[in-house]
Amino acid sequence: MIRGVIIMNDQGKPRLVKFYEFQPVEKQQELVRSIYRSRRAENVSNFVKVDSLFGPDVRLVYKTFATLYFVFIFDNSENELAMLDLMQVFVETLDKCFSNVCELDVVFNFKKVHTILDEIILGGQVLETSSSEVVKAVEEISKMESNGNSIISSIPGWQGR
Amino acid sequence: MKRQVFTCRYKELGNIRTRFSPLKSRVQSREEGLTHYEKKKYVWKMLYIYMLGYDVDFGHMEAVSLISAPKYPEKQVGYIVTSCLLNENHDFLRLAINTVRNDIIGRNETFQCLALTLVGNIGGREFAESLAPDVQKLLISSSCRPLVRKKAALCLLRLFRKNPDVVNIDGWSDRMAQLLDERDFGVLTSSMSLLVALVSNNHDAYWNCLPKCVKILERLARNQDVPPEYTYYGIPSPWLQVKTLRALQYFPTVEDPNTRRSLFENNASHAVLFEALALVMHLDAEKEMMSQCVALLGKFIAVREPNIRYLGLENMTRMLMVTEVQDIIKRHQAQIITSLKDPDISIRRRALDLLYGMCDVSNAKDIVEELLQYLSTADFAMREELSLKAAILAEKFAPDLSWYVDVILQLIDKAGDFVSDDIWFRVVQFVTNNEDLQPYAALKAREYLDKPAIHETMVKVSAYILGEYSHLLARGPACSPKEIFSIIHEKLPTVSTSTIPILLSTYAKILMHTQPPDQELQHQIWAIFSKYESCIDAEIQQRAVEYHALSMKGAALMDILAEMPKFPERQSSLIRKAENTEADTAEQSAAKLRAQQQASNALVVTDQRPANGTLPVNQLGLVKVPIMSNADQIIAEQGVTHENGALTVVDPQPQLPSTPSPDLLEDLLGPLAIEGPSGTGPQSEPRVASGFERGENADALAIAPVEEQANTVQPIGSIAERFHALCLKDSGVLYEDPYIQIGIKAEWRAHHGRYVIFLGNKNTAPLSSVQASILPPSHLNTELSLVPETIPPRAQVQCPLEVINLRPSRDLAVLDFSYKFGTQVVNVKLRLPAVFNKFLQPITVSAEEFFPQWRSLSGPPLKLQEVVRGVRPMPIAELANLLNSLRLMVCPGLDPNANNLIASTTFYSESTRAMLCLIRIETDPADRTQLRMTVASGDPTLTFELKEFIKEQIVYIPVPPQSPAPMPPQARPTSPPTAISDPGALLAGLL
Repeated sequence: MIRGVIIMNDQGKPRLVKFYEFQPVEKQQELVRSIYRSRRAENVSNFVKVDSLFGPDVRLVYKTFATLYFVFIFDNSENELAMLDLMQVFVETLDKCFSNVCELDVVFNFKKVHTILDEIILGGQVLETSSSEVVKAVEEISKMESNGNSIISSIPGWQGR
Repeated sequence: MKRQVFTCRYKELGNIRTRFSPLKSRVQSREEGLTHYEKKKYVWKMLYIYMLGYDVDFGHMEAVSLISAPKYPEKQVGYIVTSCLLNENHDFLRLAINTVRNDIIGRNETFQCLALTLVGNIGGREFAESLAPDVQKLLISSSCRPLVRKKAALCLLRLFRKNPDVVNIDGWSDRMAQLLDERDFGVLTSSMSLLVALVSNNHDAYWNCLPKCVKILERLARNQDVPPEYTYYGIPSPWLQVKTLRALQYFPTVEDPNTRRSLFENNASHAVLFEALALVMHLDAEKEMMSQCVALLGKFIAVREPNIRYLGLENMTRMLMVTEVQDIIKRHQAQIITSLKDPDISIRRRALDLLYGMCDVSNAKDIVEELLQYLSTADFAMREELSLKAAILAEKFAPDLSWYVDVILQLIDKAGDFVSDDIWFRVVQFVTNNEDLQPYAALKAREYLDKPAIHETMVKVSAYILGEYSHLLARGPACSPKEIFSIIHEKLPTVSTSTIPILLSTYAKILMHTQPPDQELQHQIWAIFSKYESCIDAEIQQRAVEYHALSMKGAALMDILAEMPKFPERQSSLIRKAENTEADTAEQSAAKLRAQQQASNALVVTDQRPANGTLPVNQLGLVKVPIMSNADQIIAEQGVTHENGALTVVDPQPQLPSTPSPDLLEDLLGPLAIEGPSGTGPQSEPRVASGFERGENADALAIAPVEEQANTVQPIGSIAERFHALCLKDSGVLYEDPYIQIGIKAEWRAHHGRYVIFLGNKNTAPLSSVQASILPPSHLNTELSLVPETIPPRAQVQCPLEVINLRPSRDLAVLDFSYKFGTQVVNVKLRLPAVFNKFLQPITVSAEEFFPQWRSLSGPPLKLQEVVRGVRPMPIAELANLLNSLRLMVCPGLDPNANNLIASTTFYSESTRAMLCLIRIETDPADRTQLRMTVASGDPTLTFELKEFIKEQIVYIPVPPQSPAPMPPQARPTSPPTAISDPGALLAGLL
């Protein structure tokens, strides 16, 4: 299963941290820091074995997009390359929802990022692999939100663009 | 508000702190009546702050209460924040269960989605109990949208994974089969994940899903009926393909026609391809297909894309398990060696693993030399692994022994820091056991010593080898004893204290080999010995003193310092180590099911042999260096079997103050230091028999009649006797009954102790529910490693136990041990012989040292005196022996009265550190049942405890504990009337 998803920027500041097995907050931060420290050069493989942090057979795959650093942590029941591609789907979906996603989008709409992630991964398993399906579901939710509460849409910058 | 959020997120941490407390107080002051909107705002902020790493310990209640809000946005916040902040056992979650359930069985699909997401992400037991049936209903309901059903599938999967006992999946195979007919790919992918979990749990029940899986693969492979949004870069849903292939791997091997495809343009297809390869391996397909796979992998490891190289190497390592293709893999050796120079350390590691795995006699020389070359450029993170692997390969596949010696010496030279002691011990063993090798090794060692700066390990090896065999070189240039001595002695100032004893032994050996004696050399060496006689390190000091005294003896030296006898053959500890780790790297995923599950770090030793024991010497034998005793030895010591007695029996009553820790170093140097002639006996013959020794012993053990023991399990032999024996020695049997034998072996270093507990199953059926725990007294810190649940038939399990002595006390640790054999549950509580005297270190004191000390410790509580009565009568020599065996060193000659004994020892504990203890015992030749004892040390508790301890040992305890009742009146008059006066003064007066 997928153990966790982390998005951080190139200074190691977490932008999204989601674990599918509960981790106490200190542990979370420790993990984020040690993962940040183990970042590697561009031209090497994207897989790192992280037995020392998570126990045996756990590995992580990472990819850098502009200033953001995406990390998926998963165990041996998942295929490494499939995870890399799932990350691609995630980024593509973010890109579609925010039209040209950048770090600030993730910061200001981190609620929406959570929603998107929940549409792709559920309880550590792949839920949906088609980014267009995900976008459809997220749009539906946004519609619900604006209908459900008129105040919220009047707050600038809070709601997705 | 945007600005507020902005500052909150982008200013320094202090800023966050200042925002933190108003937020906290706002959230907590609920009475003021926060609007839903405000609540929502603050709860989102809480999540953000939590993500930044601050422990948000407030507002959980608010988050949970938002779940029951009627409007979607608030509900959504509640659900998302709750699933991030709370763990499955949080109390607040209970409050939400009802709301969650209502949302799930309600009509609103978006609410259903939110609720399913929460349950799927948290997956707690209570959720499983109350919600699993509803989730199952949702999954198979035809009226639900796919959006909901795919979530239901994963939600169920999570609940099942976490609490397989709660979720009822009886009869689900038909439903799963139905689900696999689903047309929507989202639902299909989720259902496939669920199927993988169900099948991995019990594949028999899901046979009917197998054809469906194959059908899905076919549909995907032919690209029929795949909606365009699920086509990823031209590949029809690679995730589903991967998952389906995974699912197939869990089924036992069947004929499976269409799993191979050869399209590869990008990642996605590679993912599919790797899964397909794994499946091919799983199915154990015919050789042709295998060789195709290897050829494909060979291409992969040469591509530029690092991810593919990495996986290529990893999969090739897995392929090694298939014997037929090993030769084909060897064709790629050159490419793999190039991968050792890859810029990516992950890839270098894989390449090393692969090289290690593919090495055999035919290519060992190439590979090891390549590894050695690589060693000097390799990064530090890898050097240890690299040197260990090179050493193992060299040992396993050495074409000739001189090559092996070359390799190891090169290894030490190049990466001395990373060469563990095991490696050089092994080389010494080889050299000792092979006479042809000795001159060569000595020559090599001599050459290395000429190098300007050599590693300390190299000093150790060369010194040892030259000490033993330098006389074989005597005719060579610059190899006279004097020259060799001076070149070794040059290194002395640079080495650490652990090496000095080895050097001292070497000097003693050189001295012995120099016949006729060279006066000048002799004096030089004697000077060194006498210099170290006052060394602070006990080991060095002892050696210096002993060698000095021995070397004065002249001709007798020849016998005592004779060449080391051959070592009994034993399996290399390195290979053992490697075998243990190999299991980790070998196979994963589906194959894991077939592997035995061992949730224990204890070492299980069974009769299995290494598969490729090409060297006959490596057959079997002892296991790991520090714990070299195994069942054989323990049994031998107990005198149960006699054949191999000569091999391993050590004198159970150590007369000399030897350090009893039998690690290999001791083993190498021990006989030379202490045992003398007894070690020179013929020891090579019993080795022949060692191949079946273990089997024989096992049989011998099994003779114990199992059937006759009807109901209760009776221990064999007296537990108390065994315990008392073990108080005086460090290895032996602690407990034995018809099913199990528990042996222990201990090593002591100051206040640290290390036990290895051997649990040997004597039967042909496994012992289950094995449990062991230590009930330590307050003064001992103990740490017992995990004990495996079951002990396989005829197997022996070793569990290390660490003991640290905190302060002086005579309390005992208890080993609480239980197991189940058949239906019988056996529970025994055994005293652990981690007794007071184990933390003593005998020490000799001279008269000059003794008397000032004795006087300075005047009177209670540091010095205590007691007249002990009811003593077991024994002659004075026996009493001295008893004291010596308790590690109280009797110092003869200090007290002129032959009826008195003076003993000294050092006690180690964390609180007292090393503390000198002095004991004086005055006996009465007329009445051996009483004596007067005076104990002194720098710590009042220690003095008291030591006194009581000795008393316990000498008092006659048996049947009626205080039987000599009429004794005291008789005894009293004989005790001298001066007993009250200070015995120190008395003693001084006597002298």
